[in-house]
Amino acid sequence: MSVFNRRQFVGGSAALLAAASLPAHAEPAKGEPVTMGVSGPLTGPNAQYGTQWKQGFDLALDQINAAGGIKGRPLAYVFEDSQSDPRQAVAVAQKFVADKKIVVELGDFASPASMAASPIYQKAKLVQFGFTNSHPDFTKGGDYMWSNSVSQADEQPLSAAYAVKTLGLKKIAVLHLNTDWGRTSKDIFIKAAKDYGAEIVAVEGYIPDEKDFRSTLVRVRDAKPDGLMLLSYYSDAALIARQVKQAGIKLPLVAASSVYSPKLIELGGESVEGLFTASRYFPDDPRPTVKSFVAAFKAKYNKEPDAFNAYAYDTVILMGQVMNQFGFEREQIHQGLAKVKDVPSVIFGKATFDTATRRVSGAMNVELVVKDGRFQLHEGSIATR
Amino acid sequence: MASWIDYTINGLIIGNIYALLAVGLALIFGVSRLINFAHGSVYLVGAYAGFVATTMLGLPLPVTFVLVVAVGALLGLVIERFGLRPLQGYAHIAPLLATIGISFVLDQLVQLTFAATPRALPSDLLDKRFQLGSGTIGALDLVIAAVGLTSAGLLYYFLRFTQLGWAVRATAQDRDAAQQMGVDVNAVNRTVFVIASGLGAVSGLLVGMYYNYIDPAMSFQATLKGVVAQVVGGVGNVPGAIAGSLLLGLVESYGIALFGTSYRNLFAFVLLVVVLVLRPNGLFASARQTPPEPMTGTFIAPSKPFALSPRVLIGITIALALLPAVYPDPYIMQTFSNAWLYGMLGLSLTLIAGTVGMISLGHAALLAIGGYASALLALNFGIPVGFTILLAGVITAALGTILVFPSFRLRGHYFSIATLAVGEIVSLVILNWEGLTRGPIGLSAIPPLSLFGVELESAQSVYWFTLAVLVVLALLQFRLLSSHLGRVLRAMRDDDVAARSYGIRLDRYKALAFAFGSFAAGISGGITAHLYSYINHETFNAQLSILALTIVILGGMGNVTGAVVGSVLLIGLPEVFRVAAEYRVLIYGVVLLLLVRFRPQGLFGTV
Repeated sequence: MSVFNRRQFVGGSAALLAAASLPAHAEPAKGEPVTMGVSGPLTGPNAQYGTQWKQGFDLALDQINAAGGIKGRPLAYVFEDSQSDPRQAVAVAQKFVADKKIVVELGDFASPASMAASPIYQKAKLVQFGFTNSHPDFTKGGDYMWSNSVSQADEQPLSAAYAVKTLGLKKIAVLHLNTDWGRTSKDIFIKAAKDYGAEIVAVEGYIPDEKDFRSTLVRVRDAKPDGLMLLSYYSDAALIARQVKQAGIKLPLVAASSVYSPKLIELGGESVEGLFTASRYFPDDPRPTVKSFVAAFKAKYNKEPDAFNAYAYDTVILMGQVMNQFGFEREQIHQGLAKVKDVPSVIFGKATFDTATRRVSGAMNVELVVKDGRFQLHEGSIATR
Repeated sequence: MASWIDYTINGLIIGNIYALLAVGLALIFGVSRLINFAHGSVYLVGAYAGFVATTMLGLPLPVTFVLVVAVGALLGLVIERFGLRPLQGYAHIAPLLATIGISFVLDQLVQLTFAATPRALPSDLLDKRFQLGSGTIGALDLVIAAVGLTSAGLLYYFLRFTQLGWAVRATAQDRDAAQQMGVDVNAVNRTVFVIASGLGAVSGLLVGMYYNYIDPAMSFQATLKGVVAQVVGGVGNVPGAIAGSLLLGLVESYGIALFGTSYRNLFAFVLLVVVLVLRPNGLFASARQTPPEPMTGTFIAPSKPFALSPRVLIGITIALALLPAVYPDPYIMQTFSNAWLYGMLGLSLTLIAGTVGMISLGHAALLAIGGYASALLALNFGIPVGFTILLAGVITAALGTILVFPSFRLRGHYFSIATLAVGEIVSLVILNWEGLTRGPIGLSAIPPLSLFGVELESAQSVYWFTLAVLVVLALLQFRLLSSHLGRVLRAMRDDDVAARSYGIRLDRYKALAFAFGSFAAGISGGITAHLYSYINHETFNAQLSILALTIVILGGMGNVTGAVVGSVLLIGLPEVFRVAAEYRVLIYGVVLLLLVRFRPQGLFGTV
């Protein structure tokens, strides 16, 4: 194959991609775009999350640019594929910090990649906004590391309250992803559940590639719990729920809010019927932020948004407000994050950063149950803080 | 007691699933002497073909089955004809690399076509369930078992009673002799690939329906478990592969029962190493069977190395050292620094795999040991960073050699698979030994790279540091290769029997070479840990081992210059293809395939 052809091919696909990432109707915002750098997985094992991010980003950009963009200029992003691999994330980081067009960086997806790149962003004084990085040490990397990911210290006590107080579970078996997220969540959940008076009878950690849980479930069953707590993502939660049913175990399942996705129901089918979970928002939520997000998302993509779509959307909306209020220079964004107050947010209701931890606390919480093949409000619960 | 029955049944059910994969892998290995890393990708394509047929086209299950087999068979035909046949007569390492390239391409094509999000693959078969023990067993479990057993039976009949089957067995026993007897070896190979790939595709469909879950990332794990299962049973042995799969399933299930879920894979890989060391032919091979391995010296292609004169090398090194002064772009600096770090890994593996002939598939474990050693020494004992990196090299040399020592008596593919297992074991020990490694939380706030108390802040200083370390290690390796020791190591690779009859103690020399190589890898891992400031068990994953091997083969086995150039290309190309976004891994795979096709001895040739 000749070099010429390859170049053509590469150039062609790049042009296609550029066209795809341009906002759909950007008439009101004109001129040189204000560019955010995104480092995340578009290929490799975590590629699905990068795809979900893009949907959330694009929707937020449509809305921001239709409303005049950033001080009249369109907001845009450059998505560099890191495969969520630390080696590539550090290269992407160097690329972004050297590129004066990039005013803020979003991502990476997994902690090993994000935190490997942190020293570079910190030295270059470019904000690294790790919006899915719940690792407790992420924002400790330096004062340019910020995150609006839901802190597990915030979320897991709520899960524990749901399981123990609302549902009345007394002997809980915990299944958790053996990752930094799952491990942190597990420790906080167990502590909170014990504080509420429940007993933890079994704890099983599994690796993200795991698909077979039959023997794990025998072990769990033998511990005689009265309910199972899943600190999982939707794909593994669906697999577990299915195998729980096949093993003939008839116990209530409670899952962390990370399973909140239409995919849970698609993959789990009947076996997730009756599963209890929580969410930061709910499609029928009366809050106007949620209503407009869900309606616009459905209109654009013809499906319901999930948690990762919402994180990505929230993040770009937040960045839009910070830039419009405090300016879109790198340092102005850094200062602005500390100053910005009460940004409308799907996840938090209103987001304000704690300047000591550089995180947002007080995520919204709705208690849900899967009924008739869809997520519904659990009896008697209302959207509360 | 009732629980033990459940554990047994569960172990057999999951073993049943492994068997579907292992049978195809065993068949291909039996005839082509090739670990087909593309098998998992065929399985993936089968799963998505099934998804298209049932969910998108709404076809009934029997039609879906036929369609999936046809797709798999066709794919096998294409892989054999265009991916592997042109490599005939090349050393055995070339087709191995080609299957890795093919699997990149196939996985990416599936992902680009169907997106990366997982999809459901529902099936009515799952809802029919029978009570067994305290759980239930589904009709699908029985279908899977039936498919496994029937295909094994049909294979047995085919191999034993048909003319083509005889030809397959004759080819498996001695390819050259079979050809002399008039067997159409190509037809045999084609047949085997068609059968194995058809079976692989059906496995994908069945497993996808079993979990009601398919995603493009499912192929690597499938290959891994399939390889383990077939090696336990005896490579190239179809009934053995089934027995090995069931045994693997049982061991995993009992492992969970005794120690908990997070130890599951640890058991699988420990079983593998134990079997390999004690019964290298597999548990179910007859004792008198000779190990199915290429004749000594044919695994790695002999070729005329393309040597750059020392003067040119010195010139290039000086030019590279001056690069930051002329072109200090941090992104370029970082990419080159990454290339230098992987160059060190390449030096390590090119010595062990190329010069000594021990193809290691677990080299990422050495990076991990080095990274954790250096980070922990700096974090827990406050030892200055430059010194910790040196210590990390020494620790990696010692620990790496001890871990692999029992496998030194293995040859060819067997050694490779043992190192693959050791690599996984190291990663799982890091995950589970929380007291030392903090498990999945990982090590954060690792002190930055510094030398004699001066922090290497800029991208240029990191570039110079990594380049300097690489040059020193490369010079040491050049020195080693041209010494008496280097000749001994090559003699062992080319003919270990002859070497031994000259009085060379193989184990000791292998250990020496492995320690030298591990030192370089440990240094690379140590530097990486301080550069990243955060590592956990996923930082140095199994894909890196494959990358390391690709670097070495691309550069030319045993070739020091080749390892560095290979690293620059393989770290650099994905960055160059960055403009292609989602397509870049696909392009990378195609480029890899073309390189194997047109330059199988590597760019610089074997030394």
